Amino acid sequence: MRIVFVTLITIILSNISAPGQTFNSSGRIIDDGRFAASTKQVNQFFRRFNAEESKEGDVRFHPGDELYHDLALRKSFINILFDNETSGINNDLKREFIGYVTSEVYPQYLNFHRGDWFAEVNTVFNYNNKRQDVVLFLKLQPQGLGYEWVIENVNFPPFKGAFDKPKGDDKKFLHPLSHELGFMNLRKAIEENPRPESYTPDEFQPDYLSLFLFEIKNNRLKFVTVKDTKFHFFQIDKWYFELGQFNRPGFNTGWLIANLMKLEDGDKDIILNYIYDRD
Amino acid sequence: MKKYIPSLLIFFLATTISVFAQDESISPQRKQAIDSLALEKVKDLSKYISIIGSKETQFSEATRVMDRAEELFAPDAEMGVSSINTNEIAYYKIRRYFERLMALNYDRVNISWYDIHYISDLERQPDGRYVGVITIYQRFEGTSQEAGLNYRDTTKKDITIYVEKKQTQISGRTIEFWDVLLGDVRVTETSA
Repeated sequence: MRIVFVTLITIILSNISAPGQTFNSSGRIIDDGRFAASTKQVNQFFRRFNAEESKEGDVRFHPGDELYHDLALRKSFINILFDNETSGINNDLKREFIGYVTSEVYPQYLNFHRGDWFAEVNTVFNYNNKRQDVVLFLKLQPQGLGYEWVIENVNFPPFKGAFDKPKGDDKKFLHPLSHELGFMNLRKAIEENPRPESYTPDEFQPDYLSLFLFEIKNNRLKFVTVKDTKFHFFQIDKWYFELGQFNRPGFNTGWLIANLMKLEDGDKDIILNYIYDRD
Repeated sequence: MKKYIPSLLIFFLATTISVFAQDESISPQRKQAIDSLALEKVKDLSKYISIIGSKETQFSEATRVMDRAEELFAPDAEMGVSSINTNEIAYYKIRRYFERLMALNYDRVNISWYDIHYISDLERQPDGRYVGVITIYQRFEGTSQEAGLNYRDTTKKDITIYVEKKQTQISGRTIEFWDVLLGDVRVTETSA
């Protein structure tokens, strides 16, 4: 009896410590289920969320197929699309979200082409001979015969720090009769004031994307590498979620929901300002 | 290329013999055929990588296989490699990646593949070509007796595929077929 017990423990331990060691007849390693469980592509996240593929991921469902958008399949899929290890998304919130998107009356699906989702890409550039992080925001847009990803926004601390418009008495100005002197005071205003943004309208917002492109074209910003990518989704009415990639041991891996929020009126702008690091 | 002609033709006969339709959308049946062709090319790439990485392969043979492997790719394709320790992507031209693989200093190299793959939908680009991604998993094991090294990793490979409608002349007839070329490959070390 003891021998049987020890043998069983040995077998179990060897399976845990050396996963994926089995080979099939064609010499391929047999997946122990972890890679099958992983949401391997963003595309698979969409398909699982909508129930547009089989549990094994090897059959694509199309409109008219029996299990296309199947409610039970969707529920079981969406349950595994959350990061359960680090994100700490509240279970009640999760349940409410799943109930909302899988409603029998008004189910909600994700659509690759519909907009209201975008990518946040952490990159590294050399700027003034220093490696610096640059966050790029990209969105999909129709173009020509298909679609393309385009850079919609940039977050780069040196750009943000360059614009600091003073307020109140600290703010220099061009006096209201400058025009009578042919604006000769522009020389002093621009050369002697390190904050020329003082002379811009109240509604002035620096266009970081144009600056970013200008600096690249002038070879002052040089691309080094990409570090990581995540996605922000506002497609589900009254909800926001963040999609991140989790590369770790276990079955809860790949592209998973890393953050989930229920939105009230005005919350979307607050979240967007936070994502874009806007004041 | 020659090797793929029979499958391309079968593919063509199975899909369309008539004059091309104006609608360039890809039906689920056609998508399945394209997936099979793309997987065939990915399997070939896997085979070539194993041959190039093997220490038993002569230099001349490895060079010949590298030429064949390069033919699978679009001209400007790159490998983007990252490890568990750093998320940053290191970029290599396809040829350079193969050369680095060949130059690895192990006495014994064993490259094997998992029985699982994932094929994305095909999306149309602005130029009308379709693009997709095939994900596969590879196990690499290298042993160096002299240095006492025993290195092992499992990588996820996300391989871009470009799908394009092409034409060829057979017995004076113009025949259209869908061809697949491999593009950029993202190689990510996994924790498996």
